[in-house]
Amino acid sequence: MRIVVCVKEVLDPDAVNNYALAGRLEIGDDGKSLTQTAIPRLMNGFDEQALEAALRIKDAGADCSITVVSAGPAPTDILKHAAALGADDVASLEADPTALDSHVIASLLAGYIRTSGGADLVLCGRQASDDDQGVVPALVGEMLDLPIVTIARAVEAGDGGWRVTRVTPDGDEVVEVTGGAVVTISNELGDPRYPTAASKIKARRVKPTVIAVSDLGLSADDSEPRVAFTRQFVPTIQGNCEFISGDSPADLADRLIARLREDSVIQ
Amino acid sequence: MSSNEVVVVTWGLGGEAFAGEVEDILTLGRGVAAATGGDLNWLALGPVSEAIRATAGNYGVANIDHVEDAKLAEFSADAIVASLAQYCEQRSPRVVLFAQGFDVRLIAPRLAAKAGAGVVMNAAAIDVDGDGKLSVTASAYGGDTRVVYEIAADRACVASVLANAVLPEAVDAATSPGVRDVAVDLAAVDERIKVLERPKAEGPRLDAAEIIVSGGRGLGDAANYKLIEELAEALGGLPGASRPIVDDGWVDSSHQVWLTGIITRPGLYLAAGISGASQHMAGCSAAKTIVAINTDSDASIFRYARYGIVGDCLEILPELIRAAKS
Repeated sequence: MRIVVCVKEVLDPDAVNNYALAGRLEIGDDGKSLTQTAIPRLMNGFDEQALEAALRIKDAGADCSITVVSAGPAPTDILKHAAALGADDVASLEADPTALDSHVIASLLAGYIRTSGGADLVLCGRQASDDDQGVVPALVGEMLDLPIVTIARAVEAGDGGWRVTRVTPDGDEVVEVTGGAVVTISNELGDPRYPTAASKIKARRVKPTVIAVSDLGLSADDSEPRVAFTRQFVPTIQGNCEFISGDSPADLADRLIARLREDSVIQ
Repeated sequence: MSSNEVVVVTWGLGGEAFAGEVEDILTLGRGVAAATGGDLNWLALGPVSEAIRATAGNYGVANIDHVEDAKLAEFSADAIVASLAQYCEQRSPRVVLFAQGFDVRLIAPRLAAKAGAGVVMNAAAIDVDGDGKLSVTASAYGGDTRVVYEIAADRACVASVLANAVLPEAVDAATSPGVRDVAVDLAAVDERIKVLERPKAEGPRLDAAEIIVSGGRGLGDAANYKLIEELAEALGGLPGASRPIVDDGWVDSSHQVWLTGIITRPGLYLAAGISGASQHMAGCSAAKTIVAINTDSDASIFRYARYGIVGDCLEILPELIRAAKS
């Protein structure tokens, strides 16, 4: 049985957030990229949890191999990290980063899965913490004609398929699919494991299998972007906060409740 | 090749009441349709209620397109995607709009794949330039930035629109749009995902609450979360939480107001001890009135708040409970 985990390299979202909270997030002259070059690049957190989901399936006794694949410019470090965590194979799809949108990335991933022996399960993070789009898994599922189960907290091998627990706004939902599937993993899965020191050292020597786009059997339509990323900006938030002043916590509370009642926000 | 039509898609709105976000999306769609020079239509999968007719008339909808099929009676992603793909084949809309929600996150990209359309989630605005070129502005980095995506020429655009993107605005003179039945063939559709256990929805839902009181790390300790619950009860609302205290196990994830958690749009959102990270605001910034209590007067939350109190929420919350009960 083969599990393929799709991963993306992103800027550390916590670092980006800290710059944003400090009001120091800036966009460069290209009008697209963040200027903060010191922000570390790492594996998208949800993707790391998708790999963790695969490792848990293996830990539970399933006879399976785990392949981790990434499309885009030189994601070697995150693939070595994946190897250190326990991936059996790591693969890099070399593509022109200027002509990548969700559709083209999905075409690359689907093309890789198709030409490398298929997959019994494709695991992805629910979305990437940079663009927050979360559409690539659904596009891959459509291209491979596989059912897509989103926002999962647990995946188990079932009878000829997969049993998945989804985190819905109403609570957990347990579903089953027969045959292959694409499943997206949410943070409710829990923390991923850390690589051991020994596995990190071993992973240093791992060389990702580099696959050329021309070997993926893609059509012209597969490689034609549907959308173009043209601009990025930091939104301005129009603050109009009225600070309540008072002599004591009790006074502040009375004044606030009075204002909210005046505005008919509360009764 | 696309027409210039804009279509807003809903399903499961058979009941008389439905959430307010349809009005938002219809307002946005009306503006886009005016710019593309096409009709604004409303595609309803399932029964067309009086509420749908009235809302469509109030928001400038030209036609209510209606799809009915036994396979749409219960939620089925495969049946919805197949219906939408067939509708797009028949009418070739230029823009397909969804109000972003849990199921739309799956349906929108699946439709885009089938229709060969460009898809953008977390959309906050859609612009049409003089040449008819479409650009979608979307939230990124959890709300820290906005990204503009241009849709390739001759491609339809599927956009999933954020709850707080636009303020609803009815038309001056309401109309009575006609209902067009649209035939789809779902004979070949057999839902591939079998539900073994349905979620056990307990009590009122946070995403439907009119008043929410939320707590964050500023509460200092898990035991202090009871202050949030007490104030929520005193105000007739529900308790919420920011992700850090859910991750720390103070409360369970059904309370998590967050980009990837529950997206709320209450009348009042009171945030105590929450700094206001964009990812949290993505889950609550659609609130009509935000009140923030934080010890740090520079906290980001005050940029979103209508009223603020700079102070220790552990001192203020008990007094607010008292004042709310009086």
